[in-house]
Amino acid sequence: MAGEGMSGTERLWAAIRLEKTDRVPIVPTLLAEPAAHLAGITRAKVAADNALALDAILQVFDDYGGWDSIYPGSYTPQQLQASNVNPMKVRIPGRDLPDDYMWQLVEEEILQPQDYDRISEMGIDGFYYQDYLGRISSLSTDDVNREILALFTTFQRFLTECQKRKVKPFFMGNGMHPFFTLSLMRSMVGFTKDLYYHPEPVERAIRRMTADLIAHQIPLTKESGLGTWLFTEERASGYFYPPAVFERFWWPYTKQVVDAFWSEGLVTIFHLDQRWDKNIPYFRQLPRGSFILELDGNTDIFAAKEVLRGHACFHGDVPAALLSVARPEDVHAYCRKLVELVGDDGGFILGSGCSVPCNVEPGNFKAMLEAGRGARG
Amino acid sequence: MSQKLSDLLLALERDAVLETVKGRLGTNEDPLRVLEDCRSGMTLVGERFQRGDFFLAELILSAEIFKDAAAIIEPRLSRARADHSRGRVLVGTLMGDIHDLGKNILITLLRAHGFEVKDLGVDVPPSVAVEKVKESKAHFVGFSALITTAFPNMKQAVTLLQEAGLRGRVKVMIGGGVTTPEVRDYVGADFQTTDAMEGVAYCLKTTGGK
Repeated sequence: MAGEGMSGTERLWAAIRLEKTDRVPIVPTLLAEPAAHLAGITRAKVAADNALALDAILQVFDDYGGWDSIYPGSYTPQQLQASNVNPMKVRIPGRDLPDDYMWQLVEEEILQPQDYDRISEMGIDGFYYQDYLGRISSLSTDDVNREILALFTTFQRFLTECQKRKVKPFFMGNGMHPFFTLSLMRSMVGFTKDLYYHPEPVERAIRRMTADLIAHQIPLTKESGLGTWLFTEERASGYFYPPAVFERFWWPYTKQVVDAFWSEGLVTIFHLDQRWDKNIPYFRQLPRGSFILELDGNTDIFAAKEVLRGHACFHGDVPAALLSVARPEDVHAYCRKLVELVGDDGGFILGSGCSVPCNVEPGNFKAMLEAGRGARG
Repeated sequence: MSQKLSDLLLALERDAVLETVKGRLGTNEDPLRVLEDCRSGMTLVGERFQRGDFFLAELILSAEIFKDAAAIIEPRLSRARADHSRGRVLVGTLMGDIHDLGKNILITLLRAHGFEVKDLGVDVPPSVAVEKVKESKAHFVGFSALITTAFPNMKQAVTLLQEAGLRGRVKVMIGGGVTTPEVRDYVGADFQTTDAMEGVAYCLKTTGGK
């Protein structure tokens, strides 16, 4: 854009370092399905082919004038199962659902109480591939290898396409918090019963999974050369659990993970869905600048900013409802409010709350980008 | 005795609640009174949640305990005495969305607070939901959503309720993490929440309960 003094990458990293920028950096969480919607492709097609998913994301990036860093989204739901990211049964458009449906996870008690100690003994990857994956899918070892190869191949092309556009991916390495993974595997109700009535095996599993996560993800994140990685949690906040649970099963392991990554100079991007208002003060215990909080519109980002002003960068949080059913002027006004109140002293990346919704109004998506482009950081 | 049962439920003492229920039924105590004592426990849980002292986890656990207790008590209630609900509620997830976690939590909580609830399931066409409202003479219909693609179908369901002349007799509730007051207005619903217990409180208030 004419008159801009920083590249997208410079702008992004200035925001992460809590410095002022020439304008606010923009990173929409544009995954395959909303990209397909904006590019005129069916959800079934991108759910079956991650190369097409990448094409859709790049097409939207180009059609809408680009932004500062691209959120990785070129994967299929089956590839997420194959790579131990989504440990649940999945229903896929074109296979289990009509072509115009979103792919969706099925909440079931797959993990059994005795499995916690098996995870502690085998490690999460050993347990997942030797036993658990067969409970949630019919993927054979050959299928898993083929899906991971397709994932890797497309990520290589993603990197090349990013270079052509003079931007970088927002992150490459990613992992889910062990607490979240276990809740998905066991179901929220079953996992909650275990936390209250049989906590020791859960704690042993979380301890082992935390060690596994650090050991596996730090080398991958370093290899990516990006300096960031994504850490997802959607079920541990003070909306779901009291401080006693949070302080015993979530916070110490989170701190351990962030400290381990930060000791290597790597920044953690927390993807935190649902209401975290009660938990925000805990994040002051993490080193300044070591993390980004990516919020989904349910947490009060304006109040959170006041608690963590000058300590952490925020990413978000244009609500999915606003992007899908409001008017462009409403979206623009909300983005301006974000820029003025959350981005006033830097430390802010404008984006969607969680993912851009897959029925996003094109005019609303454009309004979000334009509000960011016109705003000083 | 009744205080103890509600306190045990409040303390989430599952085994003790079920033992107490069995013990009291074993002495031929009126099963309706035992059920009401369990409901008193759920009311206390709800009050703590609304004060911010309890969290969703405790709501879920108490409702699960209540469900197990009710399964023991209800076969002993005569059919006539079992008909003591505070109101009829239909709850479902509309076409395009197959998520059921939020819906199931709301259903368990509503039942624990004395409502008769019919689960419409997931991926329900709006026309089917409206037909069920007509058949059941429900006082409330609740639509749960985890994804925004459910919004147009919620709106369509409200339109169909109006066209069928049913809108005036049923309160429409919407809920789920992606819903907002603006979505309530877009859909034409009476009530919106991201908090299942607020949904229960709305039903209680509307039916004149606590």
